[in-house]
Amino acid sequence: MSAQARMKPRFSFAEPKWPVFLLLALVILTFAIPPIFNQASSAFTIYNVLQNTAVLGMVALGLGLTMIVGEFDLSVAGTYALGGMVAVKLGTGNPFVGLLAGLAVCVTFGLIQGLIIAKLKINSMALTLGGYLVALGLTGTIGNNKSQSFSNYDIGIQLNQPIGTVFSIRIFIGIAVFLAVFLLMNLTNLGRGMRATGGGRRASRTAGVRVDAVVILTFGASAGLAALGGILQAYCTATATSNPGLFPLIFAVTACLLGGLGLAGGRGGAFGIACGALTIAMLSELFSTVAAPQYVTGLFTGLLLIVVTTAASPYVVRKWRERRIDRSLKIESKALATSDSSSQS
Amino acid sequence: MSVVEDVLPSRFSISGMDARRKITLLVTILFFAILIFATVTTTGFYSVQNFKAIITAAAIVGIIAVGMTYIVISGNLFSLSVGITAAVSASTFIWALRFGLVGAIIIAVVFGAVVIGLQGLLIGFTGANPIIVTIAAGALQEAVAIWITGGVSVYPPENSPSFAFLVSPLFGIPFPVYVFVVAVVLGEVFIKRSRFGRGIYLMGESPRAGRTAGLPITRLTTGAFVVAGVCAAVAGILIGAFNQSGTMTASRTLTIDAISAVLVGGTAVIGGRGSVVRTAIGAIVIATISDLLLLRGYSTPVQLLVLGVIVTVVVILSYLNSERAGRS
Amino acid sequence: MSETLRLETQGITKTYGHLHALNDTSFDLRVGEVHALLGHNGAGKSTLVKILSGVVHPDSGTVRIDGEEVYPRNPRHAQDLGVALVDQELSLVSVLTVEENLRLGSRRVVSSEELRTLLDTLGLEHVKLTTLTGSLPIGEQQLVEIARALSRDAKILILDEPTATLSEPEIERVFAAVRRLAAQGKSVIYVSHRLGEVLTLCQRATVFRDGKVVGTKDVADLDRAGIVEMMLGHLPDFRTGSEKRTPENPQRISIQGLSIPPRVPAFDLEVQGGVIVALAGQVGCGASEVLRALAGLVPNARGTVNLNETKLPLGSAVKALAAGVFFAPSDRKEEGLFLSHSIVNNLVATRLPRVSRGGFIQKSRQNAVVMKLLGLTGIAPERRDLDVGVLSGGNQQKVLVARGINQPRSKMLLFDEPARGVDVGGRADIHDLIRGAAEQGNVVIFHSTDLDEVFDLADVIVTMFGGRVVSVRSRAEATPAAVLTDMTHGAEGISA
Repeated sequence: MSAQARMKPRFSFAEPKWPVFLLLALVILTFAIPPIFNQASSAFTIYNVLQNTAVLGMVALGLGLTMIVGEFDLSVAGTYALGGMVAVKLGTGNPFVGLLAGLAVCVTFGLIQGLIIAKLKINSMALTLGGYLVALGLTGTIGNNKSQSFSNYDIGIQLNQPIGTVFSIRIFIGIAVFLAVFLLMNLTNLGRGMRATGGGRRASRTAGVRVDAVVILTFGASAGLAALGGILQAYCTATATSNPGLFPLIFAVTACLLGGLGLAGGRGGAFGIACGALTIAMLSELFSTVAAPQYVTGLFTGLLLIVVTTAASPYVVRKWRERRIDRSLKIESKALATSDSSSQS
Repeated sequence: MSVVEDVLPSRFSISGMDARRKITLLVTILFFAILIFATVTTTGFYSVQNFKAIITAAAIVGIIAVGMTYIVISGNLFSLSVGITAAVSASTFIWALRFGLVGAIIIAVVFGAVVIGLQGLLIGFTGANPIIVTIAAGALQEAVAIWITGGVSVYPPENSPSFAFLVSPLFGIPFPVYVFVVAVVLGEVFIKRSRFGRGIYLMGESPRAGRTAGLPITRLTTGAFVVAGVCAAVAGILIGAFNQSGTMTASRTLTIDAISAVLVGGTAVIGGRGSVVRTAIGAIVIATISDLLLLRGYSTPVQLLVLGVIVTVVVILSYLNSERAGRS
Repeated sequence: MSETLRLETQGITKTYGHLHALNDTSFDLRVGEVHALLGHNGAGKSTLVKILSGVVHPDSGTVRIDGEEVYPRNPRHAQDLGVALVDQELSLVSVLTVEENLRLGSRRVVSSEELRTLLDTLGLEHVKLTTLTGSLPIGEQQLVEIARALSRDAKILILDEPTATLSEPEIERVFAAVRRLAAQGKSVIYVSHRLGEVLTLCQRATVFRDGKVVGTKDVADLDRAGIVEMMLGHLPDFRTGSEKRTPENPQRISIQGLSIPPRVPAFDLEVQGGVIVALAGQVGCGASEVLRALAGLVPNARGTVNLNETKLPLGSAVKALAAGVFFAPSDRKEEGLFLSHSIVNNLVATRLPRVSRGGFIQKSRQNAVVMKLLGLTGIAPERRDLDVGVLSGGNQQKVLVARGINQPRSKMLLFDEPARGVDVGGRADIHDLIRGAAEQGNVVIFHSTDLDEVFDLADVIVTMFGGRVVSVRSRAEATPAAVLTDMTHGAEGISA
């Protein structure tokens, strides 16, 4: 960031509020629906939901940051796998070494992507598609095209150990990361710069925001967050898969869109992403509780994603805006009419 | 990077443009040099049998890539689930053999056209993001396929008509290659000479100008995706005939290969330019690369890695070469 | 306002190729003064603004602020020198809060209390610092933008067409804010076409014309007519008495109650083919919106439009084209032409069905059409496969205009700024093309902010201001002064 004097930090929360209601709705459903199928949700359900959100939510957070800046990182599904694989391969002696290695590799990867996107002004979706393939290819090559098991089972057990019935160290890590990003977005200049860049790139540049630096850092962060999620997953299951498929990406996109983020950028933040991620984790846990077959989750997430993407499409957004304009004009004309009639009497 | 640069309209200088073209030329020459070197130094490459293998692999991917070309030229980036649709079309074809060979082919083609065409309709009408929509549609197709088939392969029903000819050699060349050539010829003529094709090119160049000129954006987008759907289904039929069954695993790298074929062939990501013939060349190049890697003992991930690097480089070059690229 | 000079420019010259945007101009601004810059499009006032705000460098001349000679290198530097520009195009980020926008990119440390005081000074007491900027009405956003300029310690505030999109009460607020600022000793340069506002708000006015300063007068000594006369100068050589066109089967259009929320409440017009109608007005007058609505590019346009007794569907460009409506937008690069495609492709883009048979394009038919059009536009046939993007601006515009003419099924042709960015010779050619289209019986409506063009081409001049029609005159009875007056109609408003 440019040499700006430290300003008194002013807290501003500018995210849409409706994702919270959506989440609440899903909480209600999670407890209301299973009894219909002779099942029941319990504290263990909550624990599971939080466990999954801690991992996949991190990927969503990474993707979400790039969306807020007005870009899109398709490669998060790849860095998710790559981070886990590197950590498993290099962390047999000391899990922290594995963690650092995985993060270092992926963050560097992300920064390079960000650099190309920022300086060469390339469509981030197209570039990160290539990045996804490279990351996936690297993962498979390192892993010899099969899953690699992690010999250190202890770390997984420690991370997964239930604390207070519904929490665990893994979950605390997730909460800490979300909180850190939340504070970053709302308190620091970098966070403001990210939202400004997404909300109006040209205006931000003329106002002096270092747009290129913001973009580069954001892509480094998205890769790093996705890698962190993958590393957590790998340690906790003591396995690193060569190809986890596109589900992490689907989860992430749906979570972000449900969390109030837009594809155009500028809107939303960590709080919304957390709501969206929890919502989807709850949904899939709900299916699990009622013992629905695996494909049901895929079916619902796919449908949900289509619905949400359509809701975020230019056509729908425009129709919303037009309806709002029409409504406000009607209110104006009604107000004029009543004031006319009252002044005439 | 002064603010003045950003505020004043930026124009690539003439010398700057030439530099970019020079870089592209250099990279292309380098690439082919490496490729030829690799073919010469790989044992078993220069054999009739190997060439047949390459051309057959190129054929299947190529047919899908022909359809993908329409999507890319129309400015809608890519579809990330044509491979899945091909696999599901294969199962559909196998299942539909009870209606006779012709009936099965028609049903499979209609299936592919409808499934991918509907995505195109949604994308064209609402302007929803094509990549996300196609990813979601792919997940949906997979889920539904598993639901219906219970996760097991689909086998031809009793007393099905013979379909072996679809994959057998005809005058020494596998039948799919003929289908590929026909697809390329039809695809190229259609996109270059038809009214619809001209509309696709114009719309891909500038959707806004297209709208002002009265081009039917929704119809054109849907049409491009329908073509992609038909191509995916045809490839699926051939895959199904080859495997004599329908499974989901057949789709693993099809989508990526098809996208790579289009890009490597020189059709730009931004749309408005390119051709089917270029894609055909791209398909052969991609098949050659995969073949080389296989002959040298490298596994799928290495293929992915190499393809990923190639795709990234091609995307970068195509943006560098375009005056339209970049935003403020 | 004191007599002390805050800003002084002398001998400023700026040329672009052959065009003298500014020619040896001088201008001064006093402390605490509100000073208007007036002049037609291209007269030079926007170039001066760009120079003062550091966007553009002058070829020669000096700029003095508070007696010191300065050279604003870029917008950032200009800001440091105390010059703040509030442009027509708002540069606020709508997704940030008011406070964040005020702080965005600022080098100074400003406390929240200072920002609060600033907002109160501008009449924004009710706006909280934590409000999302995008949720404020445009008028208040404008004031926030002014607040941001002020928070950078601006001594000189340049407002470029600040009221073009504002409602009455919002305009009042801006005026009050400007008056308060002047009282505090800040100097304001007020660039506007709205003469009524200038007469109400400003102390002095400087009029530009053809890159030169015509004069600087105290507003107290001026009236609307006086300003108009200064802006017009000598009357150019207009074609007197347009030859009445009598086409055989003229089309007819009747527009009733066309409304385009939020800018255009109701627009009515009846036009017959063969008569060229101009919608004359400045930026924001609503003419562009009307043309676009007729062309089917405005989805939420309402109203009744009848083309030859058949209803013209609004909201679909495809249907409009099918109904015989052709539209040339003002921004030919972004919205009009397909720059990477050949002249041929661009010329036939709007008549693909006509050059095809059975779904396939017939080269022979395409060639026939293209050769005819090339002949009309004077572009050499050998160049027909060149990318349109490499053509000169004038030729590009000719291609854009030509692609709509000579179509047997066409009924109405709409042009938004038909000769924008074209030199005099090219403009004459384009106007000939348009006249030819009118000859064939088409309804022709065009919008222009350029009086010369309006008087050269139009048979009927409809002036627009603030989304409403101000007056309708035939070419014969219209004078440039009267039309310009109507185009710049003041804040008094018309009885609705």
